[in-house]
Amino acid sequence: MQAKINTHLIEIFKTEFGSIYQCDQTNHFILEYAGRFTAFKPTNFIDFTKRVFAINLHDMASNTARHADIAILMPLYTETCFLLTMSDTIRLQRILGGAKTILHLNTLLKTSQLQFA
Amino acid sequence: MKDLLRLRTSLTEEIETLLNEQIKVEAYSSSLYLAMSSWCDRNGYDNSAGYLEKQSGEEREHMLKLFRYVNDLGGSAVSPEVINIPQEFDSFKGVFEMALQQEIQVTSNFNRIADRCQKANDYVTFQFLQWFLKEQVEEEYVARRILELFEVIGEEGTGRWEIDKHIPKVSFGISGE
Ligand SMILES: [Fe+2]
Ligand SMILES: [Fe+2]
Repeated sequence: MQAKINTHLIEIFKTEFGSIYQCDQTNHFILEYAGRFTAFKPTNFIDFTKRVFAINLHDMASNTARHADIAILMPLYTETCFLLTMSDTIRLQRILGGAKTILHLNTLLKTSQLQFA
Repeated sequence: MKDLLRLRTSLTEEIETLLNEQIKVEAYSSSLYLAMSSWCDRNGYDNSAGYLEKQSGEEREHMLKLFRYVNDLGGSAVSPEVINIPQEFDSFKGVFEMALQQEIQVTSNFNRIADRCQKANDYVTFQFLQWFLKEQVEEEYVARRILELFEVIGEEGTGRWEIDKHIPKVSFGISGE
């Protein structure tokens, strides 16, 4: 199953800690982080990005309670449960934010191609 | 490479977010008018209570109109969470002053969304918003006319009773009839 997913992947954005791929065959985005792959439908990918950016880093850093050291994301659309430390969160925000910029550029490029074709 | 986000919806994330925020504002208006209706009812302003209940229903319709639009275009409409609805009001007149303020706020929201649509070249949503902009002219007009009744009739004596009787009759575009 994993191999099948991997054949049509286009790399969108990559850092030393993980990457985002797009699969044009299944119309999914795939997040690779900490050795794990998670596939998202576009709607869910946007939702997931929002959730990761909604994590309060300031609270994680300043709150001394132990539960504040970890953010838990359990989106119902994936089987994965994300337990994120502060550095995980920062890394994921960089990956997802970078991917968002590239995807936005792709949209701009596509629309201008249509306009000038 | 396909544009998966565009395949999902023609709404940009920014416009989708703005529309979802407005869904929330309309839901707030609806709940606010219902609270006002209840206050008027328990203070003896029966006609105003009926009028505000009807207004509350109209605000819910506005909310649904936006809600359906977002979903029709492939976006995700969010069922709004509405909190902090005031249940008590200073006075009969205060209720309608607050109603006018709420309508003014809504008008400025729609202007802002229309402005963002133009900047994002989203003329489909811009067009969709025209109905709301027109509706707001009417809503503000009616809210102002109602407040004027407090001046014209006056609150002394049986004034408030008289004002309450006239409120449901205020409507847009009947001048000269
Ligand atoms: Fe409204
Ligand atoms: Fe309104």
